[in-house]
Amino acid sequence: MVALAAGLASCSKYLDVVPDNISTIDNAFKLRVEAEKYLFTCYSYLPKNGDGWYNASLTSADEIWYPQNDQATWHAAFRIAQGQQNVSDPYFNEWQGVRKGGDGNTRFDGQKIWGGIRNCNIFLENMADPTKVPDISAAERSKWIGECLFLKAYYHYYMLRMYGPIPIMNQNVAVDADLASSYVKRLPVDQCVDAISAWLDSAVTLLPEKILNENTDLGRVTKPIALAVKAKLLVMAASPLFNGNPDYANFKDKDGVALFNPTFDANKWVKARDAAKAAVESAEKNGFVLYRYTNDVYGLNDTTKIQLNIRNAVTQRWGVEHVWANSQMYFANEALCMPPTERGTNTSRFQLQGVWAPPIKIAKLFYTSNGVPIDEDKTMSFNNYDQLRTAAAKERFYIEPNFVTARLNFDREPRFYADLGFDGSLWYMKDGNANGSDVGTFYVKAKNSQSAGFGHFTNWSETGYFVKKLVSWESTTRGISAPVWRSYPWPETRLADLYLLYAEAENEATPASPIALTYLDKIRDRAGLKGVAASWAAYSTNPSKYTTQSGLRSIIHRERTIELMFEGQRFWDLRRWKEASEELNKDITGWSIQATSDASYYKERPIFSQRFIAPRDYFWPIGNYDTRRNPKLVENLGW
Amino acid sequence: MKQKSRRTSVLKWVLPIFCVCYFFPALFGQNNEITVTGKVSSDSSFLERVSIQLKGNTKRATLTDQNGNYTIKVPASGTLLFSIIGYEPQEVPINGRSTVSILMKAVNNALDAVVITGFGGSQKKASAVSSITTVDVKDLKGPTGNLTNTLAGRIPGMISFQRSGEPGLGSDNSTFYIRGLSTFGTGKRDPLILIDGVESSAIDMARLQPDDIADFSVLKDAAAASVYGARGANGVVLINTRTGKEGAAKFFFRAENRVSSNTKNFKFTDNITYMKTANEAAVTRTPLAVQPYTQNKINHTAAGDDPYLYPSNNWIDQLIKKYTINQSYNLNINGGTNRTRFYIAGTYNRDNGVLNVSPINNFNNNIKLANYSIRSNVNMTLTNTTELIVRVYGQFDDYNGPIGGGSRTFNNALWSNPVMFPAVYPQAKLPYIEHPLFGSAQNVAAGQVTSTLYLNPYAELVKGYSVYKTSNLQPQIELKQNLNFITPGLSFRTMGYLRRVSYYAVNRNYLPFYYTASVDPTTQNYNLNVLNDGGPTSVGQVGTEYLNYSENGKTVDSRLWLEGSLNYNHTFREKHTLGGMLVGVMSNYETGNAGNVTASLPQRNNGVSGRFSYAYDNRYLAEFNFGFNGSERFAKNSRYGFFPSVGVGYRISNEKFFDPIKNVINDLKFRGTFGLVGNDQIGSITDRFFYLSNVNLNDGYYGATFGRNDGVGSYYRPGLSISRYANDNITWELSRSLNLGMDLKMFRDLNITVDVYKQWRTQILQPKSSIESAAGFSAIPSSNYGKAETQGIDLAVNYQRSLTKNNWINLRGTLTYATSKKKVADEIQYPANIRYLSGVDHSLSQGWGMIAERLFIDDKEVANSPVQFGDNKLMAGDIKYKDVNGDGLVNLDDMVPIGYPQEPEIIYGFGASMGFKRLDFSFYFQGSARSTFFINPANIQPFYIETSIKYPGTNTVDPTLAGLAYQNNLLQVVSNDHWSEDNRNPYAFYPRLSTTRIASNNYNSTWWMRSGDFLRLKSVDLGYTLPDFKKIKLRAPRIYFSATNLFILSSFKLWDVEMGGSGLNYPVQSVYSLGAQLNF
Repeated sequence: MVALAAGLASCSKYLDVVPDNISTIDNAFKLRVEAEKYLFTCYSYLPKNGDGWYNASLTSADEIWYPQNDQATWHAAFRIAQGQQNVSDPYFNEWQGVRKGGDGNTRFDGQKIWGGIRNCNIFLENMADPTKVPDISAAERSKWIGECLFLKAYYHYYMLRMYGPIPIMNQNVAVDADLASSYVKRLPVDQCVDAISAWLDSAVTLLPEKILNENTDLGRVTKPIALAVKAKLLVMAASPLFNGNPDYANFKDKDGVALFNPTFDANKWVKARDAAKAAVESAEKNGFVLYRYTNDVYGLNDTTKIQLNIRNAVTQRWGVEHVWANSQMYFANEALCMPPTERGTNTSRFQLQGVWAPPIKIAKLFYTSNGVPIDEDKTMSFNNYDQLRTAAAKERFYIEPNFVTARLNFDREPRFYADLGFDGSLWYMKDGNANGSDVGTFYVKAKNSQSAGFGHFTNWSETGYFVKKLVSWESTTRGISAPVWRSYPWPETRLADLYLLYAEAENEATPASPIALTYLDKIRDRAGLKGVAASWAAYSTNPSKYTTQSGLRSIIHRERTIELMFEGQRFWDLRRWKEASEELNKDITGWSIQATSDASYYKERPIFSQRFIAPRDYFWPIGNYDTRRNPKLVENLGW
Repeated sequence: MKQKSRRTSVLKWVLPIFCVCYFFPALFGQNNEITVTGKVSSDSSFLERVSIQLKGNTKRATLTDQNGNYTIKVPASGTLLFSIIGYEPQEVPINGRSTVSILMKAVNNALDAVVITGFGGSQKKASAVSSITTVDVKDLKGPTGNLTNTLAGRIPGMISFQRSGEPGLGSDNSTFYIRGLSTFGTGKRDPLILIDGVESSAIDMARLQPDDIADFSVLKDAAAASVYGARGANGVVLINTRTGKEGAAKFFFRAENRVSSNTKNFKFTDNITYMKTANEAAVTRTPLAVQPYTQNKINHTAAGDDPYLYPSNNWIDQLIKKYTINQSYNLNINGGTNRTRFYIAGTYNRDNGVLNVSPINNFNNNIKLANYSIRSNVNMTLTNTTELIVRVYGQFDDYNGPIGGGSRTFNNALWSNPVMFPAVYPQAKLPYIEHPLFGSAQNVAAGQVTSTLYLNPYAELVKGYSVYKTSNLQPQIELKQNLNFITPGLSFRTMGYLRRVSYYAVNRNYLPFYYTASVDPTTQNYNLNVLNDGGPTSVGQVGTEYLNYSENGKTVDSRLWLEGSLNYNHTFREKHTLGGMLVGVMSNYETGNAGNVTASLPQRNNGVSGRFSYAYDNRYLAEFNFGFNGSERFAKNSRYGFFPSVGVGYRISNEKFFDPIKNVINDLKFRGTFGLVGNDQIGSITDRFFYLSNVNLNDGYYGATFGRNDGVGSYYRPGLSISRYANDNITWELSRSLNLGMDLKMFRDLNITVDVYKQWRTQILQPKSSIESAAGFSAIPSSNYGKAETQGIDLAVNYQRSLTKNNWINLRGTLTYATSKKKVADEIQYPANIRYLSGVDHSLSQGWGMIAERLFIDDKEVANSPVQFGDNKLMAGDIKYKDVNGDGLVNLDDMVPIGYPQEPEIIYGFGASMGFKRLDFSFYFQGSARSTFFINPANIQPFYIETSIKYPGTNTVDPTLAGLAYQNNLLQVVSNDHWSEDNRNPYAFYPRLSTTRIASNNYNSTWWMRSGDFLRLKSVDLGYTLPDFKKIKLRAPRIYFSATNLFILSSFKLWDVEMGGSGLNYPVQSVYSLGAQLNF
């Protein structure tokens, strides 16, 4: 009787077995130190763009080609470049958050963008409650909310750029929601843009102008970063892919709602221009400038200095023009860029792999030394660009004197030489010789069996070109021990990028605007070129090109492509400009790398025929995994 | 039996006189009243609550007390009527005696029997309305040390099958489900097992000795199980052990010696064919490939030349014995005084494996499982109304076996190359070396020497041994108080127990040194070269001469249980029988190996249950049951569940109008129940508190780094990850079930019980993986939305007839048909063209697979057919699948439900027992139908080299076998019938050979699907009971021969079909035993 009575009386208490202090999500918001970890968690979902393996765009267009051996199957992004994207198990499937790295590499598969957004929402909900995290100051609380709002906006922007219309996850799907109400819908592009832009606006009011404690906080979000992302968002939204794109006029969700606005709206360019202007002004106000090489302790030649202006603009840690550098991912692929060099002693193709190969079409994109396209320069011809030519002494800071190489590699703008390595090219590094001089420094020999040439069983450049731009001149590759790569927080946004966005939007809002020319010329000046007007007037076969909107547009596109080469921008730009169906339907070609003589090496050789199916390939497939789960989710066109 | 009948309502029968009267009644008018006392007992114990009544006067009546004593004042010439449920009523003339003690005889009549209903309760079967099967304990005796293996086909309503015969911790248990598998969640799916009220595991049940069992009941429907509300959803198995009887100590001793052997062995081809076929396999896909065996080697092997240079092994013959011998001994003693009775039992059971271990080491590593147990049940009568029962049970396992277990040994034997190395080289070859000279060779794959050695199955078997020991201690106290002084028929009972279980395992083994032989050019003899001595050319793990040691897991857990119940049973005005029971229960379980703080918190249940029954005139029966149970797993709002059930019965044969046919249909009852039962054991046990989030507040994977990182360190903080989101709404899994039954007794000897049922299982915990990715959950939330339906029929037929006094025959049969359907499950939205991928409306164990049309005829056909699984290098002789959805690709979207469910839907059994004077004989057939299984083609793919050896039955690589590789042997069925250029049979058993995995051929498909149907002679029993040996007080000793799994009828011949897809493991055993049982 006693037991029975006791059993009945103490019913509910008996089942309370869980003591206090079991860690639950509430514990994350009890103290500032714990909440800070939650904020960092929100940051941890930032795409790992500093590693080509995990960068969705760096090797999925035509900037960089891998050797056509089994490496062709290692990289999710590169398989997209090879036209292998598919709907049943998409590569770089950010929607599901898998296959983000290589073909089976799951290193960052736990860091799913949608999961990041969910965490942002949890963080924002909790931080909005002043009773949570009582030991934080009001100022810091509002700053953290601003950072998290930015991240939430950025993650949405990132998905919008890949997939087009996306669901806007402003509210988390409840854990106990029934299935039907948990299904989200893709929203029309304009709504997505408005929502993201509004979050960025709120974030801007909460974020600091600049990082004060650089030793602990550098890499965290500031006002210029938020404005920069807003500029990118609005420029994208004003661009042809999203703004009145007729291809998507009939792309509707399952309820018949059109997901793209089929009418072109010129005002979007005005908004984009204003946003770009605000971003530029904010960045300049906070001290960001275009990088210039100064403090010349090695007594370098001016030609070399201009190259360092270009190279260091990217590779300098926390560079002066890095409006946003990602401290979560330092650039990890210098070894993939740099091959073994002459006068260098390290010949290991494992340590100096040099496998990132820009195709000849990329090499052609760079201007002539006169600052105009190679097919527009009235003073010199590149028609026979595979013609052999011997390097003269005056070219010694570009090409090893007396080296025989192709016409294509002569008379080019400094960015050509700063960005690319090739057979005969100089490869200036701080440790290129004992005194750091640019005379008698590293240069490349890339014919078959030469140190940078074909011959290793897995690592070689398929085209004969190398990516010099991304290798820090301060990395040490001399000796035979493993190179010490300088590495640098990956620059997500440089000031040059903002200038170019501003120029582009300005030209679209105000045709052939002189402001656009001003900002273009700032970029060209740093690259050692004359202004657009001067260059075109003096050297171009189409001297008045820049005076029309469309002419200037094509100049801006070209300038942007060259300036941001190998930074993973081209992939997105070609898409938003709707130029991918033309540009990415060409052949990938390179020099005949298996040849050993000049005559046979400099024959252009087809490597791969790229196929870009429009409009299908303009956006990622969402994939069967998700479309079969959510009946409201409509798959992108063509997939 | 005794305490159950006490609780049963007493019916006062006015019975027609048909029982035997030994004395002519003295009817002459002696009017003197006398007081008669006496004792009423049965074969096993004193009977309580026996109704005693003066014939012709219903007012002169009394009941026996706990000890079977009664006192009644009656006329000296009267006649006493004794009656109690479950026993034949007796009339005894007093004849002036003042002491009348009688022995009641239990009726062998199913309808009059008593059924056990749980919490110490029992019911007369005639008045039961729920579906409860009571098993005759005699049927559970068989020549096996494992009780679970005797259930199949014996118990209507139980689906049971045995997949492996390996002695061990549950490894040779049969899987059993009551009324089939009825849920598909990740939680508990098998029945609740209560032994003397103690919640026990299937292993505990396996170790139980039939000799110690008093009753064995299976509660199948909601009305029976709803008092176990929290955990009765999957049915309940109730087992009570025996109690002592008053009297001098009686000994019962049974000894059994068993011969056990594999029901079926695998057939390998001969080694010459092996080598020739291996050469064929090498070149059949790549004509220029290196052939692994030279003609020289084949010739020498065929000639039987030097067995060390040209080894030829049959690993099964070398590693597996033809049979093994096991013993089992049971002793029990029971007796006592009228105040204290005891039942003490001890068991020693020894199961050996069939592994063949030659004495190369001083440790034996054949499987040797000894289990012993001791049980002491003591009943004490404290006062006339109070009884105290103390039970103590201890059960212990001692196991010794090869590293990795017996199944690993079988796998090793099947997956080892037979011709590359001998098991061991003669020690004399290197006399100065003390360790065994095991043979092996460096593995060669596709002409390339690899960095692995061939696994030597003999070395693996003898290299060491694994030991585990378990103990299970269960003291239990039960107190019964008769509350007749409050109101007649009221009693109280309380029971509590503690159960402590512990287990540990250790491995000890050396790492074998391997040697390979090479021809000595001068002597033409052979030289030995060590392969893994750690030198520069050493391959694989370096050998050791000393034993390595590893601990292989320890568990300890404990359970505390308390229950108290109030019982009431009374018959009013002869026609109204009222019963009631109210039970309160609390239980607490903790484990010492939980692994994390939430998992380590106690698992608790408490609640109240009740049963109320009413019977009118033994004709109309009604019952209401409920469980109101709580579980610690759920949030406060859903912590308690209420599980009611109702039942009604109509015993039509007791109606007046039935009388004319009562000679034919002696008894007929219809029953119906409907109710609700719950299950709180949902989801994984480590994922228990659904209302709490599970958060890692220091997850480096989600950390972030900031700061200049130049000269000063950067600022890093780990992040946070959520592996479970809090969800207050997770609650009980529910089983609603309807049961309609009929009990029929015809021609006095034929009993038929049939039940049809339908069960709706709802609120099955399912992950909501249909939530698409945009919701951003880092762990898929779960919810109770799964639904399933099961239905079926349980049928039992029993015919028992005594032909003459000593000759009798009993025919029995059962049929269980249980089918299930998934209704709502975690499933994606399949587009219409592939809707067949959905599991909805299919059985819970339905298999999906490709439709294999045949083998490709030629390479042209391959080229013109849809690409299969992205493999465009298929050839003639590979399996051709149907492109079901016609999309021009053959892939996972082309899988359709094929075959029957993988767990049988029909289990049946039939048999007969007969006695002829002192001889008794019985046999039983058991069958299974409506199931299919899949041969795993990867397991039987010959010549394939597996360099990362997994733990048996898992996908986890076994690090202890690093550096070793399997090379599959060649089954005779494959060598006889595979596609080859010479045998371009598009329906050959095995497709074109390959030395690599051809993934496309290995998918589940109709090609590898086989029927799991079988009928086997499950047991045969022949016994002879000798006359009493009065001089040595030996009563009726019996010697017997019994056998199990004698033969099987099945269309599948490769292995014992009952093992299904896991046929390459330790086989099911055939056992023949000789035993003797002695009573004195």
